[in-house]
Amino acid sequence: MRNLLAMARRIIRQIVRDKRTLALLIIAPLLILTLVWYIFGAKTSEPNLAIIHYESSDYLSAFKASDYTRMSPLQARQSLADKEIDAYVDLKDPIKVHLEGSDPSRNGLAMNKIQKSMQKMQQLSITSMKNQFTDVIKAQQKGIQTQQQIIRQMSEAMQHYAPGALAQIMQNAPKAEQPNQAKAAEKVKLNVTYLHGNDDLNTFDAFGPAMVGIFVFLFIFMIGGVSFLRERTTGTLDRLMASPIKSYQIIWGYMFGFGLFVIVQSFILTCYIVYVLKIYNIGHLLDVLIIVFILSFSALSLSILLSTFASNELQMFQFIPLVIVPQVFLSGLFPIDTLPSWVQAIGNLMPIHYSTEALRNIMIRGTGFSGWWLDGLILLLFSVIFIVINILVIRRARPIAD
Amino acid sequence: MSYPIKGEHLHKRFKNQIVLDDVSLTLQEGEIYGLIGPSGAGKTTLVRILLGLEKADSGRVELFEQRPTLNAFRSLGYMAQSDALYNELSAYQNLEFFASIQGMHGKEKRQRIDEVAKAVELDQDLKKNVSNFSGGMKRRLSLAAALVHRPRLYLLDEPTVGLDPMIRRKLWTLFHYLKGKGATIIVTTHVMDEVAQCDRVGLLSEGKIIAEGAPKALTEHYGVPSVEDIFITIEKEGAKK
Ligand SMILES: Nc1ncnc2c1ncn2[C@@H]1O[C@H](COP(=O)(O)OP(=O)(O)O)[C@@H](O)[C@H]1O
Ligand SMILES: [Mg+2]
Repeated sequence: MRNLLAMARRIIRQIVRDKRTLALLIIAPLLILTLVWYIFGAKTSEPNLAIIHYESSDYLSAFKASDYTRMSPLQARQSLADKEIDAYVDLKDPIKVHLEGSDPSRNGLAMNKIQKSMQKMQQLSITSMKNQFTDVIKAQQKGIQTQQQIIRQMSEAMQHYAPGALAQIMQNAPKAEQPNQAKAAEKVKLNVTYLHGNDDLNTFDAFGPAMVGIFVFLFIFMIGGVSFLRERTTGTLDRLMASPIKSYQIIWGYMFGFGLFVIVQSFILTCYIVYVLKIYNIGHLLDVLIIVFILSFSALSLSILLSTFASNELQMFQFIPLVIVPQVFLSGLFPIDTLPSWVQAIGNLMPIHYSTEALRNIMIRGTGFSGWWLDGLILLLFSVIFIVINILVIRRARPIAD
Repeated sequence: MSYPIKGEHLHKRFKNQIVLDDVSLTLQEGEIYGLIGPSGAGKTTLVRILLGLEKADSGRVELFEQRPTLNAFRSLGYMAQSDALYNELSAYQNLEFFASIQGMHGKEKRQRIDEVAKAVELDQDLKKNVSNFSGGMKRRLSLAAALVHRPRLYLLDEPTVGLDPMIRRKLWTLFHYLKGKGATIIVTTHVMDEVAQCDRVGLLSEGKIIAEGAPKALTEHYGVPSVEDIFITIEKEGAKK
């Protein structure tokens, strides 16, 4: 135990005295997350739209002046070419939409907005149709009323002159059915409710849990890996191995020493994204912290393991495309349900996959312990497996009875 | 007489290069044994195998007359060819760490650190960061780290390389002092004027110990003025055959 503490204390001192590493560990993830927050979290700007041939249109009211600039066809074509507007709508029947088209995301925004207006337009035409029908029906009703009056007068006359014939007619006449009252026109508007999250949930809120995982993993991986690698290359690991320290004390010493910074880093990072960036979070801060913390351990233990296969810092960084990049893509940032099953199987071997799932459950779905314990357990299992392998690797390098 | 370290019929090859070819070596308690040989002869490899840092392909190593155990390392001070120090830490923190993992603590540890720092003349520089040390200072600190827990057996791989003659002489005085206190020392070197300071030397050439004995006896036996010449003589004999 004393050896283990000596190891941990030394690592803590090393990091504290190495300001660059400390900054990389704590400040760099914050900076990058802030950047990502600006990129994904920014409110999307409104599309610039215009309409032409609106003068004679019945649907002008569906295209509010605040959303659609009124233009002449020539003006509109020019503005579209100059990228001043993203699209314009030609209201002459049949209605046409002209898009600028070079940026898919702007196309989407413009179409979205125009479709909303089209819905309104349909409502307008339905209302006008309804009004027309009501007029027709009213006219018919008037006709029927006059006919009924005539019939009444006729039957009075018949009662007077031929009561027998009238009784026969009355008996054979079909019963007139009273038409049901016409149903009120149904509302065309959709009523949307959210099981999780709400209308305000932006891209960053959804990506956040994955992002946190990725950056925590990346930085711990780099720093942990390089620092253990240095232990090998400078020969200090040999010195440790030629001392009475036990193999597991070396590895656990690393885990403990780094663990302290990992706690501090997890805490600062989590507080930062929740309280400063105000990422959507309805779960407990503590739950988030625990997951980030467990994830860091798996990153640290994996980096120590991989540092065995690197003989210098550059080779250590060469693992990043191999270890980090696939995790970014398979972490849940992008849907993976449609990928071939072997790719999904690889995804299941990636720590960040589980942290993302757990953090989504906590932050967006608001599930408590029941929503993350399994993912947390799997992450812990990763760490344990990596740590055991690390200890075995060290032990194998010492042909001494432990 | 006990044998602090003993290697028998050690073989080692890296890929297809034979580095050690049936090397046997036994140290007597209280002697300074010099392992001499040109660079690449396999000195470092031999020392690492004796320590258990490297596994021999075949052969047997005994530390203090038994199979090496972790406990045996308490009585063993190893100074690697590289300095093996933590550059981010101060000299004191380095010594403190190595003393701690050797099981020292408290007042004893602090006193001992001051003692070894004085012995290698670094007592004025203990607070400095190792990254600011010169090559020679690092070498001495590395030696101090090997001394700090008062081992009975020292394995020093080129301890004096890159040091100026004054300091080198002082270190040899220190080695003799340690020997006087009963320690056994194995030193690798390719500096020939250090050879005379050893009680016994082993000449390692291309993975074999080609000659072994007290320096004086060796030079007389081969009839040459210096130990260096023995390498040349033996090489010539080999060529004749
Ligand atoms: N880990 C290793 N892998 C491959 N070759 C090695 C390794 N360590 C040493 N060697 C080779 O073994 C030979 C002896 O090296 P070494 O023991 O360091 O010699 P010395 O210490 O006498 O200069 C050298 O040719 C060196 O290239
Ligand atoms: Mg060497």
